[in-house]
Amino acid sequence: MGHGPLRQRLLLIAPLVLLLALVVLPLGCLLLEGVGGLRLDFFNDPYLRWRLIWSLLQASVSCVLALLLGLPVAWVLARFEFPGRALLVKFLLLPFVMPTLVGAIGVLALFGPHGVMGVNLQDTPWLLLYGNLFFNLPLLIRVALDGFAQTPADRLAAARTLGASPWRVFLRIELPAALPGLCSALCLIFLYCFSGFGLALVLGGQRYATVEVEIYTLVANEMNFSDASALALTAFVLSASCALLYTWFERSITRSRSGQGKVRVPARGWLQRGMLLIALLIVLGFSLAPLCAIVWRALGTGSSAWAVLLDSDTLKALANTARFTGLSLLGALVFGLTHAFALRRSLWFRSLSFLPYAASPVCVAFGLLLLYPGLSASLVLLLGAYTLFAYPFVARSVGAALDAIPACLPDAARSLGATPWRTSLRVLLPLVAPALRRGMAFAAATALGEFAVTLFLSRPEWTTLTTLIYQHMGRPGEMNLDAAMVLSCVLMLLALAAFAVIEWPESQRGGDA
Amino acid sequence: MQSRHFCLALLLTVCGFSAHADPLRVIAHDSFDLSKPVLADFEKQTGIKVELIKAGDAGQMLNKLILTRANPIADVVFGIDNTLVGRAAQAGIIDPYTPKAGAKPVRFTLPNGVVSVDYGYVTLNLDKAWFAKSKLPLPKRLDDLTLPAYRNLLVVENPATSSTGLAFLLSTIRAMGEERAFQFWARLRQNGLKVSNGWSQAYYTEFTRNGGARPIVLSYATSPAAEVFYSKQKLNAAPTDNLLLPGAVFQQVEGIALIKGGHERAAAAKFIEFMRSDAVQKDLQTKMWMYPVVSGTPQAAVFGLVREPVQHQTPSAAEIQKNAPAWVKRWIRVVLK
Amino acid sequence: MLELKQVCKRFGARLVADQLSLRLDAGEILALLGPSGCGKSTLLKMIAGLENPDSGQLLFAERDLAGCPPEARHFALMFQEYALFPHLNVLDNVMFGLVERQVKATERQQRAREALDALGLADYAARAVGSLSGGEAQRVALARALVTQPRLLLLDEPFSSLDAHLRQGLQQEFRQHLKQQGISALWVTHDRQEAFVMADRVALLHQGRIEQLSTPAQLLAAPANPWVARFIGFDNVSQLGVVPDAAFQFGPEQPLARIEAMMLQAEGVRLSVKIADQCYTLHLSTREARQLGDQLVPGACIGLGIDAHALIHFPDQEG
Repeated sequence: MGHGPLRQRLLLIAPLVLLLALVVLPLGCLLLEGVGGLRLDFFNDPYLRWRLIWSLLQASVSCVLALLLGLPVAWVLARFEFPGRALLVKFLLLPFVMPTLVGAIGVLALFGPHGVMGVNLQDTPWLLLYGNLFFNLPLLIRVALDGFAQTPADRLAAARTLGASPWRVFLRIELPAALPGLCSALCLIFLYCFSGFGLALVLGGQRYATVEVEIYTLVANEMNFSDASALALTAFVLSASCALLYTWFERSITRSRSGQGKVRVPARGWLQRGMLLIALLIVLGFSLAPLCAIVWRALGTGSSAWAVLLDSDTLKALANTARFTGLSLLGALVFGLTHAFALRRSLWFRSLSFLPYAASPVCVAFGLLLLYPGLSASLVLLLGAYTLFAYPFVARSVGAALDAIPACLPDAARSLGATPWRTSLRVLLPLVAPALRRGMAFAAATALGEFAVTLFLSRPEWTTLTTLIYQHMGRPGEMNLDAAMVLSCVLMLLALAAFAVIEWPESQRGGDA
Repeated sequence: MQSRHFCLALLLTVCGFSAHADPLRVIAHDSFDLSKPVLADFEKQTGIKVELIKAGDAGQMLNKLILTRANPIADVVFGIDNTLVGRAAQAGIIDPYTPKAGAKPVRFTLPNGVVSVDYGYVTLNLDKAWFAKSKLPLPKRLDDLTLPAYRNLLVVENPATSSTGLAFLLSTIRAMGEERAFQFWARLRQNGLKVSNGWSQAYYTEFTRNGGARPIVLSYATSPAAEVFYSKQKLNAAPTDNLLLPGAVFQQVEGIALIKGGHERAAAAKFIEFMRSDAVQKDLQTKMWMYPVVSGTPQAAVFGLVREPVQHQTPSAAEIQKNAPAWVKRWIRVVLK
Repeated sequence: MLELKQVCKRFGARLVADQLSLRLDAGEILALLGPSGCGKSTLLKMIAGLENPDSGQLLFAERDLAGCPPEARHFALMFQEYALFPHLNVLDNVMFGLVERQVKATERQQRAREALDALGLADYAARAVGSLSGGEAQRVALARALVTQPRLLLLDEPFSSLDAHLRQGLQQEFRQHLKQQGISALWVTHDRQEAFVMADRVALLHQGRIEQLSTPAQLLAAPANPWVARFIGFDNVSQLGVVPDAAFQFGPEQPLARIEAMMLQAEGVRLSVKIADQCYTLHLSTREARQLGDQLVPGACIGLGIDAHALIHFPDQEG
């Protein structure tokens, strides 16, 4: 590490200042207010108790359901070969890139009033749970798939020869091998479900909204800052513990490269084909159906609904979305690169960039509101918050790619006469370019779907596509719902574009094999 | 490819920061509506461009104004009513304005420099057709609504998120006193009360006239007139009626005010005077379904079909400002849990 | 040219250089030989400027290198893993250093092509780096290093990733090339055969100290201590000295020795014998083994003695 460590330390300044000013200080302010607002009888309030219990309950139930539904699907995908399998695995990433509002509307399009499925589940807990599964089931499937696919085939064969039936092999060999990954994925799913805002706001209704929605309501409707911060403190403590648990699990995962995984075979026989069918139905039903429902509903509306696209409000919202996404991409580029280059091979520093996700968007936005009252509704703060939530993806992607570059390459460049800056420019950057592209696409998807922060910190003239959709949904009438569907289609297409950029196959450059 | 991204982003920034035009920014709640010709006339005569910002429910609108008072998002606010005026003044977002002398007398005023524009009554509406079919006698007192005969018939709005709901809560407290009022609400809840987030959802989704299941809805005294006005066929009588029960009528006086720290003061003053002008006072009756505050304004014909309430139970603005948050919190615990 | 004076470096718990001193003359190829993991690569990195010594001096042409960054030292590094840049083709790789030294475009193209030509890689200019074999890749790396006309070439086990037969061919080629151009080189390896073939002088590195620095012939003739002797490949090493193969003499007049074990090898026979209660190992060529014939049977006795004059004694330790 003799490459001018001072220079590298200087790079630390930018991301640390960002994190300090926009996460640490606001959260500290929030916690202080919260401690001040905590009364002894705070938790005796049955209303707040119910909110808290329900938030924990829905997150736990979502985890359990994801596990029960996702394990069989992952096993089927790991063991069977069928046409379109690769495409399906790729599309498992899609819900992760989708804005939360699109997912919520998709669920409503399926099971809400005037839903495609005909059954109205509004004001029941099932809407929220289904929405949670839409986003998080693919995550569990992918993690479990990795775990199963990497279990060495020899181990499985040995177990069979020792007398274990396929079910026992699964139970005693495959499942334990995937377990560490599953634990960390479950932590993450719990965190997403607990601290999620958009889904709970739209799908929760009166009874089944979560703590995050309660915080927002307390601030936006009642301006009850003391209660809101007390609640935010509780929520933060819970989600931070969950995040810590997640990092602990991540560290204890050993990615073993010992031995080849089992080769996939086509499904044979009725039982195997049946399992394959059920797995496909689960995936389609939970993770693709809502999106299809939106398209279906949008296409079924009349031309008057599609005319909303030409509305001045819509055009302004589109312009704002483009503006904010573009600017936050710029911020994500700068901060992501400095963060990744600042402290190489330091896993803990890289995970520091995800600090705002350990809290929740609502807590961070609320903290910003408390700490910078003069700046609330200023473009700087809004874009700062956008960048804050977008740049970790760039930092992580580029950081991992930097780790993968063998040390001898920059050494060789240095010895051939390149200064550290020229080395980064001519050797390191081109080699991390694919990872940078992927990270930026994730950042763009995050900025597109940004919702909580915009609700808290935005001005009416800065309506984005997401808040416009939310506004349409708040107004009564078939017309507004149709308009919301059409706009959600547009948002979905934009997210799909980001997804395409992420998954674009890398071109062969200079012939790297 | 990266440099192209950079240039695009830079371009977009520049466009974003381009100089703001100088329109008059008027922020109002979602129910604000004026005929286009009336507004266009104002713009033509004064040369002022009006930019209308709709900001949700009145309570949410006020909250947004309070949160952004360091850098106000508008110059003039419409929709501050007697339930909100105390809080608005306390938060210091209002620049007091007195209308020009020599104008016509007004029926009601608002304190703290807010200029009253219209007034209305929040009360219960009932679906005549449903009651005729069910042959159920109409309730005579508020307490009747807690009887088993009227189980699952009422839908109201949440006072925390809807000014209509808040108005009803306030009138019940005014009529029965706080303790009895909350006992009443608890019994209402047990009798199958439905709560919705806002007036639109209650009226357009839950009311039996619009396909819902509840024939009694918390709405405005002028809503029956609106039903006649907007109906496709010509109607002689209103299909809904006001259920004017003692303790269930709240008088709402709504006004417009200058926002402290806003720009375009001269234009804003002109707009406020405009809202008190004959054209607007006549127009707002069939657009916003409120009564004009300026005496002598000709009443819209369709208003003749509804009974204007004579009694109402409305606490004073000061009382509202002092107690409303605590009352709302208590209501949430008692009714929603 | 290159001089290390009392260089010390600790890497974690390991002492990589312990008051190490070394001199490399112009045009000389010096091999740094030592067991794997003894810090030879770190030493190279210190000379290149990628690491800093804890204490001591590094001088080149009488000038202290402290504070001189790697890109200013004009020392070229070659690595075990070739370290070719995967996003550039062969020609761009070779031109990399020239771009950094701000050589004009036409000139650097020409020089790069000449360098490739000199190593027999003229047709490879547009090839992708990933499509090269090990030997080709290492030659490209050499071209890339040499085209910048370095003052010193530092090679870190450049052939250890290659197959054995390939290694020998490349060794000859590289040495020839370096000598032709008159380039000084510091060659790190753990393979003693390679060191003996490539180097003018060999330095044996052990726990941060140079045990011996001399020509290969001198090493074989007079190893300095038991460790050196064993590392070079001698058997029969004791605290006082070595009994080389040349010291053993067969004959009926010799005292009787017992053959403990016999191992047939590709190049001959390896015998374990006991002479006067001392165990020794010696190697016989196939010819010698055939001459002795039936006498070579495990358990049998054979006339075998040691010529005292042919023994190698270690120099005095206190010296």
